[in-house]
Amino acid sequence: MPVTDPVLTKRIPTWPWGDPKDRHIVTYDEFTKTGGYQALEKALDMTPAEVVDVVKDSQLRGRGGAGFPCGLKWTFLPEVDGGRRYLAVNCDEAEPGTFKDRLLIDFDPHIILEGIAITCYACHLDTAYFFIRGEYRHQARVVENAITEAYDKGIFGKQGLMCGKSKYAVECYLHRSAGAYICGEETGLLEAIEGKRAWPRIKPPFPAVKGLFGRPTIVNNVETLAAVGPILTNGVQWWTKMGCESSIGAPPSYGPKLMGVSGHVTTPGVFECDLGIPLSKLVNDFAGGMRGGKKFKGAIAGGVSMGILGPDQFDAEMDFDIGRKYDVLGLGTACPTIFDEDTDMVAVARNIARFFKNESCGQCTPCREGTQWIYMLLCRIEKGYATSKDLDLLLEISGSMGIMPGTTICGLADGNNWAVRTIVNKYRDEFEARIRPSSVPVGMTVGAS
Amino acid sequence: MAWNVKPSATTQIQKRDAPYLTEKMARRFTRKILPRYETKMGALMPILNEVQHEYGYIPYQSMIEIATFLEIHPGDVLDMVSFYEEYHTEPVGKYVIGVCQSIACEVCGHQAILDHLRGKLGIEPHETTDDGRFTLLTMECLGACEGAPCALINDDRHDNLSIDQIDRLIDDLE
Ligand SMILES: Cc1cc2nc3c(=O)[nH]c(=O)nc-3n(C[C@H](O)[C@H](O)[C@H](O)COP(=O)(O)O)c2cc1C
Ligand code: SF4
Ligand code: FES
Repeated sequence: MPVTDPVLTKRIPTWPWGDPKDRHIVTYDEFTKTGGYQALEKALDMTPAEVVDVVKDSQLRGRGGAGFPCGLKWTFLPEVDGGRRYLAVNCDEAEPGTFKDRLLIDFDPHIILEGIAITCYACHLDTAYFFIRGEYRHQARVVENAITEAYDKGIFGKQGLMCGKSKYAVECYLHRSAGAYICGEETGLLEAIEGKRAWPRIKPPFPAVKGLFGRPTIVNNVETLAAVGPILTNGVQWWTKMGCESSIGAPPSYGPKLMGVSGHVTTPGVFECDLGIPLSKLVNDFAGGMRGGKKFKGAIAGGVSMGILGPDQFDAEMDFDIGRKYDVLGLGTACPTIFDEDTDMVAVARNIARFFKNESCGQCTPCREGTQWIYMLLCRIEKGYATSKDLDLLLEISGSMGIMPGTTICGLADGNNWAVRTIVNKYRDEFEARIRPSSVPVGMTVGAS
Repeated sequence: MAWNVKPSATTQIQKRDAPYLTEKMARRFTRKILPRYETKMGALMPILNEVQHEYGYIPYQSMIEIATFLEIHPGDVLDMVSFYEEYHTEPVGKYVIGVCQSIACEVCGHQAILDHLRGKLGIEPHETTDDGRFTLLTMECLGACEGAPCALINDDRHDNLSIDQIDRLIDDLE
């Protein structure tokens, strides 16, 4: 069954249910008048374990990029020992092409705060840090105001959740970042909150066991948290009717998903669709079709780390199986950037490589050096100075850096590899047309082997 | 460029008598920010944000003052300041214009906007005009790809930029 009513965009007019021109910041009063904080009330009538069970049964998968089952992550927490336990709300959204979380914090911050309150209750977490990226300056004010409202109305604070309906008290603080993509990586985010450079940590131990200030911590994306309330209100059956089953025997992709379409389409924007919607349908029915009636050439699957869908993959289903079916890393943030026939794919690869070179945190040598080399090689290819050996070297670096287990700490290197490798593989003729034959004798190896 | 070293503090630090971290600020931080974090160091990022908001940049002298206030090493403060892109160690222009150069903006024509700004202001990215009014930056994805190409001017984002529009925006500032 397709999504018939807006779920996360219930109060944010979005095509086809509403006109984006009518969007406004939803205040606490408007939020509660339209059913807000009822899910929290319902949760407080249940035991924490029952709430976790509902989320587990719904098979809600993380919306931050990895698609990890949310309920399962919550069960990794150790037993309560009287010490502090944290929730880190990941609103770093810095992946190029991604802007879905912004829609929620721009207009309906309380839907996230409700999710935060429920999560903290269910998992016995006493403090939540709403980690928001530095570039979201206006949005930080919106969230700050919403948090203040929630305190004033007794949702958070010492008296206990919902004006003391539960004795369990939760504090919620806004934490503004200052511009570093790597803060989006969950352990980098924790380091940033601790007041250090955002160097991702080696896992294990996972944050659920040893996270913020050495204490158990849950890290969730804002869209994941926003979905918790509606699931509790409407039930698991309602949730699992939306989205799709896996066609290859993998775990299902249930529920609606915010998908942000950008690039060469007529009406770019965020839309709430079923998981499993074909990309072509998303582009044609939601985003107004290709801009200027041009032909589709390719699309970033969901944030640049995920790699590219080629010209023959316009009908790819946007669900969590996309990685295994279409030679990309995964669904990522489900925010595709669409390219038309006039796009220079070498320039696309160079742009993406520049991003990763700029944002590598510099902690692991293969990533720090590799991202730089990949960028330089792509600049050479783009300018027409490269030889065919350069292309081989490019593929060699992007086929090894971070791929070998244990050579890098976080997934950034892998994201760079997938982006570069899939673009070269799917548009190889464009790269070859730019390069000169190699002057290096045949049989000689360039680079490490 | 998170790991690229910014000018280090080993050279002579300009000092002034009046502290950057005033007593009033310290009191406010003690009341409002410190209780939110388990360790004093946890308060570093919000405090740096406040100091930068107050002065437009983070002077080296203030880093030493912040370190004393939080009972951490000045090197820890410099470590933070040099890592995060938004922290400036030198004064920046009154208007900081950050043009997004990431993928959606590039394929929707950010280069024309950037080139136009370079010509109009007479500076390259990461430079400030001589009169101290404008700083031009290139930034990575601003999370507003539906409005590509876009740019931040101080706290406000402007979407779907055209050359005419950027002219108008800048002229309005002047
Ligand atoms: C380099 C890198 C950057 C990431 N950036 C983000 C981000 O900006 N926002 C986000 O929600 N998750 C991001 N993630 C994923 C997080 O590490 C983590 O998986 C996620 O926040 C978990 O939340 P979820 O289970 O609710 O999806 C990033 C991961 C990596 C490796
Ligand atoms: S893989 Fe890259 S970004 Fe990740 S920790 Fe290592 S150096 Fe930093
Ligand atoms: S690519 Fe420019 S805002 Fe996302």
